Amino acid sequence: MEFFIKNNLLPILTTHEIFVLEVNVLETTIYIRMRNRVQSPPNGIILLKDAAQIIAPETILPDLKLLQIHQLSEEDGNIVVIDIMNVIGRITKQFGDLEVQTIGPAQTIIEVVAKKKGVSIPFFLLIWFLLFFGSAMTLMNFHDDVSMKSVQEKIYTIITGKHDAKPLLFQIPYSIGLGLGMILFFNHVFKKRINDEPSPLEVEMFNYQMDLDNYVILHENKESMKRVHDD
Amino acid sequence: MTIKILAVIFVGLASGLAVGAGFVAFLTVLGVIPRLTQLSKTMKMIHHYEWGVVFGALTGVCASLRDPELGISAFVLVPLGLTGGVFVGMLAAGLTEALNVFPILAKRINLDGKIVILIMAMVFGKIFGSIFQWIFFVHH
Repeated sequence: MEFFIKNNLLPILTTHEIFVLEVNVLETTIYIRMRNRVQSPPNGIILLKDAAQIIAPETILPDLKLLQIHQLSEEDGNIVVIDIMNVIGRITKQFGDLEVQTIGPAQTIIEVVAKKKGVSIPFFLLIWFLLFFGSAMTLMNFHDDVSMKSVQEKIYTIITGKHDAKPLLFQIPYSIGLGLGMILFFNHVFKKRINDEPSPLEVEMFNYQMDLDNYVILHENKESMKRVHDD
Repeated sequence: MTIKILAVIFVGLASGLAVGAGFVAFLTVLGVIPRLTQLSKTMKMIHHYEWGVVFGALTGVCASLRDPELGISAFVLVPLGLTGGVFVGMLAAGLTEALNVFPILAKRINLDGKIVILIMAMVFGKIFGSIFQWIFFVHH
């Protein structure tokens, strides 16, 4: 057979073989949708059912679910990206000619979670105080920078016709309103929400996570980039 | 003479245009008005809000250029101060959000679920700083 192909001599025999193959390929179709993010303990074994949603005929579904996709090891680090090509490769190796239809994301990000780390209280208090004092100082600098004091005195004079070096009647509500405005913007009244929509901060967190994921998908996945000197 | 007057009018108009456009652009970038309409579900009224901003800016211009005196009760200042404060607070929050401070900070210290506490640190810091400045700091 190889001899014939090498010499560009196709024997009449092959047409019959191709016909048989086509019948086999169309027999079973499975559908796979990779999950976006999966968490796993260190040194865990990733099975196909962990990394993806599967639709397949009852006969092969249990075996398919328990198919081992990846064995985590120390060298893998925190994040492993499993490419769908890899998964399809393993499925066809094990189950032979299945037709694999893939839907959705082309890879799964495996996040290796050691033990759920608690927040260290002193560290947290430090950051809280940092933000507290930092905001207080920033605001005072801002007020000084835009001459807020003289503007407020002017407003006081416009309204009442009198002059007051410390128009506290304006300044105290202003200060409280400042905090209220921030809360309003982030849609949090301590833990209670004003309405159901996600706050801009939650959207921002989500976008940030998506950016991180995209970076990881491209940089941790060896298959997604090919450099000149790679062999 | 007329040329001089026309030139002054032109320069005044041009600088007003630049400042006004800059102010509106700044508001747009920080997204304060969309945020307010989203919270109050009054998207249809957005054009009225635009006019609110324009008339507010013009009132400010009149007040700062002409020095009027109304001579009414000082307690009118309480709602004025409160609304002014809310506006500045929202500007500050919008700026913080635009600079992406919180997501990065919260991720670094494993505090994904409790950013509220960090926001509260900034809120109380702002209130404290502001009150401290007006009551004690201005003396020195």
